[in-house]
Amino acid sequence: MDDDQQILRNLFAGNNISVPKNRAALLEEFLKEEQNIKAINAVVENQNLLINNWKMDNRITDIIQQPVRILNATVGKPYETKFDFDKFKWKDIAAFQFEGLDEVGLHHDEKTKQLTGVPTQSGDFKIVFKFKLAGEPEDAAFHEKLIPLIINPDPKSLWKNLESDKNDPYWKEDNVTQFAPLGDRHILVSSKRGRAHANVGSFREDDFAYRDLDDGWSLVVVADGAGSAKISRKGSALACNSVVQYFTENSSKESLAEFDVLLQQHKNNSGDDTQKKLNNYVYNKLGKAALYVHKQLAEFATKAEVPLKDLNSTLIFTLFKKYDIGYAFLSFGVGDCPIAILNKGVTEVTLMNWIDVGEFGGGTRFITMPEIFQNEKFATRFGFKLIDDFSYLIMMSDGIYDPKFVVEANLPNIKKWKEFLADLGGKNEDGVKVELHPENKDIVNQFSTWMDFWSPGNHDDRTLAIVL
Amino acid sequence: MRRLPVYLLLDTSGSMTGEPIEAVKNGVQVMISSLRQNPQAIETAFISIISFDSTAKQLVPLTDLASFQMVDIKASGTTNLGEALKLVATCIDTEVAKTTPEQKGDWKPLVFIMTDGIPTDDWQIGLEEFKKRKTAFTVACAAGASADTNVLKQITENVVSLDTADSQSIAKFFTWVTASIGVTSTKVEDAGKEITGLSELPPPPSELNIVV
Repeated sequence: MDDDQQILRNLFAGNNISVPKNRAALLEEFLKEEQNIKAINAVVENQNLLINNWKMDNRITDIIQQPVRILNATVGKPYETKFDFDKFKWKDIAAFQFEGLDEVGLHHDEKTKQLTGVPTQSGDFKIVFKFKLAGEPEDAAFHEKLIPLIINPDPKSLWKNLESDKNDPYWKEDNVTQFAPLGDRHILVSSKRGRAHANVGSFREDDFAYRDLDDGWSLVVVADGAGSAKISRKGSALACNSVVQYFTENSSKESLAEFDVLLQQHKNNSGDDTQKKLNNYVYNKLGKAALYVHKQLAEFATKAEVPLKDLNSTLIFTLFKKYDIGYAFLSFGVGDCPIAILNKGVTEVTLMNWIDVGEFGGGTRFITMPEIFQNEKFATRFGFKLIDDFSYLIMMSDGIYDPKFVVEANLPNIKKWKEFLADLGGKNEDGVKVELHPENKDIVNQFSTWMDFWSPGNHDDRTLAIVL
Repeated sequence: MRRLPVYLLLDTSGSMTGEPIEAVKNGVQVMISSLRQNPQAIETAFISIISFDSTAKQLVPLTDLASFQMVDIKASGTTNLGEALKLVATCIDTEVAKTTPEQKGDWKPLVFIMTDGIPTDDWQIGLEEFKKRKTAFTVACAAGASADTNVLKQITENVVSLDTADSQSIAKFFTWVTASIGVTSTKVEDAGKEITGLSELPPPPSELNIVV
């Protein structure tokens, strides 16, 4: 009764009607009339209704404006992110539904309180979150909140694979994988155009060659044409062919025979003297080969009327031969391509060369640079090793070295090489396996597939030669 | 993997209120969406947003394009450009990996600065700190007539200007930034080389004047 009186007094006050003391009794009587009681109750009810409605509208606007960020997704990559009402403080949401999730391959899982699924299309989407609050009539319309959702394209799908121009005078095949006998062993080699080149339809700049020479020697060559040089694809091809050419010439064959004599002497008395003689031999013999390659490139540049640096290419080559005391390896290297020999049992790695890595990216050296021949370090570019037996001789371009070994410091580490072999053996993201034995009929296919491994940021040409 | 760090230093002072700040926000959004379509950029480019008004803040730490989400920015206060330069120097120290024998470091960062006014703080101190850090290149954009290109010229030789700080001009600037990041990420991936100056970037659109 007192409450009612207060409501009435507030109402009157709001309308400038005063109730003097001498009318207090009248007011009490007024409040007893049934009609008036009903009216006051209706006022209270309507007031409450207005208050509730206002609160409800505020709450709905709060929810609609509340920033809700959800993790970006990627096409094809399983996605899950918490979508927890408690965390958003949405305990008063009584009913809800999503619109636009199905279309992109996602759904809301109430049990796990997650948005989950495998996104099917990329773009900047706005997911519609429709909701009703507790206390709203059942037939009330849903309110809509827009939630931004970014779905990235699958990075792999962004790379185009455009064929290179076959009419180009320096064209070479985009991808080559071969398996062949070499000496008393076999060679498995693959050279693939990098995705960066495939994306714009340009050429593979890596190259390789291998050859059995007459007197038991076998030769493997890998060259990596510089990305910044205009026709380095020709430079790398010419470099590989020139090495083969040099060692198949008559005069070179004769002097390779001299190595047998020196090695025999070395075997008989393993003094410093014979070791020095062998080193000298390697330096002279392979040094001549390197210089021959350089000259061939220079000659080509002159004829083609292009600057020699347009042919910039790195070069590594290894000669090996089986003797009764083990295998002899001779090598030369300029640039950032490593040559490694893994012993029988893979307990030890022997690196045949040091690699030219500049202080800054791209600071490597090329066979086209005359200054490498005058440099004091030239003599250290050659290697000679005598190893009882070996499981693998491995030569690679930086397209393999960068993703698989990352830094030079990993090269002497046998653990890294074991990981590398395990990777070839199927321990990789896609489970692609190469069975590295000569009886494997499917070895070329397996190896070719393995060579296409995905490594973000590593899309250079890849060349990998394995003597097994 | 070697990342390509990109720092965007954005003026959020009071004078940017309205159309300019909305244009900047939109410009960054469009830039990110478009870079996400570039296979080299989406793998290598990492973006950070630093705002400066009465104070400088790193709104978004160095983040890969795939995870990047733009934050809301509002314009108010003064133009503490010096503080922003000092902050980006600190961020480069902590976020950009250096090359050591055991790890391959990141590429040198790209820095884009956009301002519509004159610094209100002691910006030379910040500049001194910034100059000690190596960047592949720094581009400063003077948006509108109130910006002082002479100040920007002391920060970097690569200065461009917009006649007016309207949404169309600002959009053009960001389109060009997008192209520049795209070209740089392609170049570092393909040739293993960094870009060192404006001359190696795509030609700016006509709305962008190169300040010499």
